[in-house]
Amino acid sequence: MAAPRKASVILKTVKKISVQFCPFESNVRSTREFLAMVGSEKARATNMNCEVTSIVKHDKSEPVVDVTYVDGERLLMKGAKLTSTEMLSAFQTRCRAKDTQTIAGGKK
Amino acid sequence: MAATLCAKLLPKQGWLPLSVSVRHGSKAVTRHKRPQHILKQKLLAVTEYIPPKRDAPPDAYPSKIKREEECTGLMLLIKEDLKKVFQDHKMIAVVQNNNSNAEDMLTLRHRLHKHSISVKFFPNQVMRLFLSDSVYSSMAPLFIGPTVLFVSKEPKVREMLSTLRASPHMTLLGACIDNTLLSVQGVVSYSKLPSMTVVQGELVSGLTMLTSHTVSVLQRHPGHLSALLQQYVKQQSAEDASEAKTESAT
Repeated sequence: MAAPRKASVILKTVKKISVQFCPFESNVRSTREFLAMVGSEKARATNMNCEVTSIVKHDKSEPVVDVTYVDGERLLMKGAKLTSTEMLSAFQTRCRAKDTQTIAGGKK
Repeated sequence: MAATLCAKLLPKQGWLPLSVSVRHGSKAVTRHKRPQHILKQKLLAVTEYIPPKRDAPPDAYPSKIKREEECTGLMLLIKEDLKKVFQDHKMIAVVQNNNSNAEDMLTLRHRLHKHSISVKFFPNQVMRLFLSDSVYSSMAPLFIGPTVLFVSKEPKVREMLSTLRASPHMTLLGACIDNTLLSVQGVVSYSKLPSMTVVQGELVSGLTMLTSHTVSVLQRHPGHLSALLQQYVKQQSAEDASEAKTESAT
């Protein structure tokens, strides 16, 4: 698994991450890897208020990652056909965009 | 020197020089790389030589498709260990831990040890090898990413579930209890099942209900029994009469 260079996941602008998957399906690998990266110690240390929950189902449903940001925006990622790096990059770009927005707003 | 440069670079009136000239320009042949004129730099950058990409000779790299799993001695040892674990322990639960530092693991291990559940780590590769050989091949898709095995001789599901609920970072993926593969919902319903003695008692009571009913009827006063039988005969005749009526009607 090629780890990105800046593997630091910053969760400052994230309120809640809920990952839902069915482990007996074959398309959950990326979702599980995403969960492992997001739920790691380093990521959790960036924001202790952020909850990372995982729901395990058995109904052949698609793996879904639901991210709720601090300003109320929701990011829904359907991980059936995505790789973990894609999901992580999408998530990180959005986080960084929100972070810069809040920094710019704070400075003004 | 500067005056001659200026004369060359300003042919028309009011035309600014394109580049900032060096304070005292260097000669043609220098020991360092002389700063090139920006136009020349741009031209050279645009017209750089890009060699055509040729494939590597056929045997340069090992072929991607063929990937034989070399069974190292260590892997065989771990496989033997796994076999023993599966034979000895009735309950094997697969849990994914996203992040657990040492103290979390310690507290978890301590809590589970009270109920004689042990925590085991095995490499996923060896696990998959072992599972493909054994009966439990359907468990193979569970073992992706950081996984931990909770094994115990007695299926103590309720205690395990309560301990897992206390630690939010562990996610239960599935369990193999008494050689039956269970999902999370299966495990939860297994925990809600009454114990074996209770189930056996219920079964026995259900079977003996009929006979006990007859016994109780017989044990009562015989007059009661005769009254019951008369009532029964009446009901039977009434039913027969109604059946005959419906038959004649149709």
